[in-house]
Amino acid sequence: MTAFNYPAVFDVAVIGAGHAGCEAALAAARMGAKTLLLTQDLDTIAQMSCNPSIGGVGKGQLVREIDALGGEMARITDLSMLGCHMLNTSRGAAVHSPRAQCDKKLYQFSMKHALERQGGLLTIQDEAAGFLTRGGKVCGVLTARGTRYRAAAVVLTAGTFLRGVVHIGMRSFPGGRYNHPPSNLLSKELEHLGFKPGRLKTGTPMRLHARGIDFSKCEKQEPDSPPTPLSHFTTAITRQLLPCWITRTSAKTAAIITAGLGQSPLYSGKINSTGPRYCPSIEDKIVKFPHHGSHHVFLEPEGFSTEEYYVNGLSTSLPEETQLEIVRSVAGLERAEIMRAGYAIEYDYCDPRGLDYTLQSRAVGGLFLAGQINGTTGYEEAAAQGLMAGINATLKIRGEAPFILRRDEAYIGVMIDDLISKGVDEPYRIFTSRAEYRLMLRQDNADLRLAQHGFRLGLLNADHAPGFARYRAAVKELAAGGTPKAFRSACCAWTLAKARATAAIEKEYAVYIHRNLKEAERLKKFEHLEIPADFRYAHIKALSNEARQRLEKTRPLTLAQAGRLPGITPADVQLLWILVEKSRTHE
Amino acid sequence: MHLPDTERTIVALATPPGAAALAIIRLSGPAAFSTAAKFMGPPLTTPAHRLARLLDIRDGSRLIDRAVTVFFKAPASYTGQDTVEITCHGSPYITRTILNLAIRSGASLAAPGEFTLRAFINGKLDLAQAEAVGSLVAAGSEAAHRAALAQVQGEMSRKIRALKQAALHLLAGVEARLDDSHEEITPVKLSAFLRESGKLKKETLDLAAGFEAGRGIREGIRVVITGAPNSGKSSLLNSLLGYDRAIVSTSAGTTRDTLEAKLEIGGFTVIFTDTAGLNAAARHPLETEGIRRAITAISQADIILLLKDCSTPRTASDTLAQRRAGELAAPGAALIKVITKTDLPAKTRAAGGIKTSCRNGTGLDALRRALVARQKKAFRDGAQAPVIFARHFEALRAAAGELGKLQALMKQRTPPLELAAEHLRGTLNALGTILGETAPEEILSDIFKNFCVGK
Repeated sequence: MTAFNYPAVFDVAVIGAGHAGCEAALAAARMGAKTLLLTQDLDTIAQMSCNPSIGGVGKGQLVREIDALGGEMARITDLSMLGCHMLNTSRGAAVHSPRAQCDKKLYQFSMKHALERQGGLLTIQDEAAGFLTRGGKVCGVLTARGTRYRAAAVVLTAGTFLRGVVHIGMRSFPGGRYNHPPSNLLSKELEHLGFKPGRLKTGTPMRLHARGIDFSKCEKQEPDSPPTPLSHFTTAITRQLLPCWITRTSAKTAAIITAGLGQSPLYSGKINSTGPRYCPSIEDKIVKFPHHGSHHVFLEPEGFSTEEYYVNGLSTSLPEETQLEIVRSVAGLERAEIMRAGYAIEYDYCDPRGLDYTLQSRAVGGLFLAGQINGTTGYEEAAAQGLMAGINATLKIRGEAPFILRRDEAYIGVMIDDLISKGVDEPYRIFTSRAEYRLMLRQDNADLRLAQHGFRLGLLNADHAPGFARYRAAVKELAAGGTPKAFRSACCAWTLAKARATAAIEKEYAVYIHRNLKEAERLKKFEHLEIPADFRYAHIKALSNEARQRLEKTRPLTLAQAGRLPGITPADVQLLWILVEKSRTHE
Repeated sequence: MHLPDTERTIVALATPPGAAALAIIRLSGPAAFSTAAKFMGPPLTTPAHRLARLLDIRDGSRLIDRAVTVFFKAPASYTGQDTVEITCHGSPYITRTILNLAIRSGASLAAPGEFTLRAFINGKLDLAQAEAVGSLVAAGSEAAHRAALAQVQGEMSRKIRALKQAALHLLAGVEARLDDSHEEITPVKLSAFLRESGKLKKETLDLAAGFEAGRGIREGIRVVITGAPNSGKSSLLNSLLGYDRAIVSTSAGTTRDTLEAKLEIGGFTVIFTDTAGLNAAARHPLETEGIRRAITAISQADIILLLKDCSTPRTASDTLAQRRAGELAAPGAALIKVITKTDLPAKTRAAGGIKTSCRNGTGLDALRRALVARQKKAFRDGAQAPVIFARHFEALRAAAGELGKLQALMKQRTPPLELAAEHLRGTLNALGTILGETAPEEILSDIFKNFCVGK
């Protein structure tokens, strides 16, 4: 078989068109990179394999950040939204988080269209099987049928497809998603390049037909009215939204599950890999909290033009017959029919400690990894990484300074620092409790924190820059107690009313934000103090054994990162500081 | 996160601890001048650079000392930052009080090597000096590690860990509610929360009260002088002191009771105990009691000076003294053999030991050096322990402060949980300066253990 050398040479090639891949490809193309996006299947672009919802506590903040940086996720969410809620409104503004239910198919096709309309971006249906390399660096992609795409940088966003195995009851079969083949060739290729993939697990609940649901027995949950758009660039959502429905599990549910545990791949020992504790299967909830009583079940429509309902709260990998029994033990679901069974999936991930702050592999130059392959879970987490990888791959091939967000600037910064410093031992999800500067990292000020980067990098439409500048000045003036000039016409979401709301929050938190800012300012210089890649810890006797081992394993890139590692004391950092400075002076 | 902070103002004793004629306390950082102004007078508007001034040091209205004070403006100082050097009288009480005044005025106790680190970072040291700094900080850090390790087994560490666990648990309760998408978790029970946080604050303050900043500065090296009767113990003491503290006579057994005297050698306080001679043939009850007291003193000493008179042949008492000194020595105590009366014709062959003569002063300097040699080394790489204790005190006080603010917040009608979390994090951060960083994973583990959090 002769290889087909694709005639064009790309700047950036992205493998996988999930939530990470789409953002990576769009960001690169918007920055002017000649970009290729490879996907196994053009019809499953940006598929929401689990819950068709975007946002949530912490995740909502991520989506707002992606949007402020010129990403696509929030805009597509607004285009396809069928329901939305601002969560946590009974609590402080710092934890207010938007969450939207989307029409699954509308979301996919809207994203597909956005990719197609993007100049400089070519989306091709083909399966990546390996990398072209030169001198230990990646310089392109090789497909399953032998096509060679040359590219200066490659972003790999393989999701759950690397050696994916689907489990339902005691049956299991290969799959990157139910009914989609896994990418086993890529897993082998990664091992060949020296990666040592680990295994993680996640799961999804069953989907029901609306006809079998007795909605009169469920509590109706109306969407917010008026709905708040997730994107700064959506002025209003005018379409009629749909409600969600709440019901609860019963004592019978618990009995069925307890009796069926022998057939559970999780409890029979068939699956050994770790799943997320915060997104437990219903069998986990029953086993770990036997005295909790009943558990909430949310019934959420999957689209405007389908009768399929997502059953939030009943994620399970028990056999299909047990799933049906479980469903029918829930109030209002006594006659429900399952259209698709719930299942668990195991997949390969690569230890994110092998990445640098730009999400580029430390070992293999030119290769960036983003999304679930780095051990995260969630569309939002994936999209945020994809965006950052796409931006940094482009900056790298242009020879420009990388774009890195600090922990005091964005949840994106918190997540990436957590990943590359601490690695993962379960699928990583963002939480507001992970952010030490939570009061500064809010959904209402994502634009104030990040939009200037979006404009600078060419990811946001420059026409909007004056409107944003005016808004920013207004917030500043209001927070200082002044009265800004009224806007005649607001640009995008940047109205005087929004400025007032944000200024009020800033004032409320002023004392705490001041304290946070001081701390962040102090730590900033440590972020710039880089530790040489070949720095040797082994001979530093003054470090404790534990500290030495942890530093050796993580190989922090900066002194700040070293200081954030568990078990590293200020005295250790001080010592490292001296030694690092010394090694620099010697050079 | 706990990283070195070069913007805070730090204070430390720059001279070795213990009584001395003079001591130097150094204060450095952006707020060094204003911190000093809070407890030194008369008021200083613009302190002249590098000009010595005699200033009053006051604790409120009480005069503590009058000290020669020099102000160095950044960058022309040792650290490259504004620096105040206070030369005060060298009593441990005065230096401790001044350190406490500086801390109360906003300074923090310097960590091992912190002044030198700043000097290095601000380019005040050249490469050769930088090499020395590296090993200096390494030594300090090593000492800190050793001290920390010693405390790991200690009661103190266990108590601080329990405080941290309690704070972590309270925080997890708050965070679970903040991160709960479906508002499925029942609200925080306010009365229980207030009770628990109040209890935590009290325990923190109680623990802090157990410390006193600066406590632990060495109380002095205990040296016991022992040997056979009439081996010259009291003469040696008098010679070292430079005045007649003990009665000396040519008849054996003149010293019946133990006798204490203090002497400052090389900046260290040395406490001598002269003892009754260990007479193998003691009969008199008074002498027996003297020997009993000598035995107690020997077992408590850091250094045992075992004397042998070289002008007499070896006696049963010499053998007894040597044996008893060896048996009684506390673990880690040093035994130094001292040969006395070397101005007289020798009757026994001296087998090692410092040869001295009180009559012509031979060997006394060597003996003085030997007495503080160990202490000097210990100070060089181990004396940071008191500083570590003082840092515990600071950390506990800061933690209690955060808990106080937390309580005030939680008494509001609708307590803002996200702000409560800030103060609990502040508490954990303060305790973290002792125990290290609290990883977010620790908080999450507590949440997942106690709450059924759905997606």
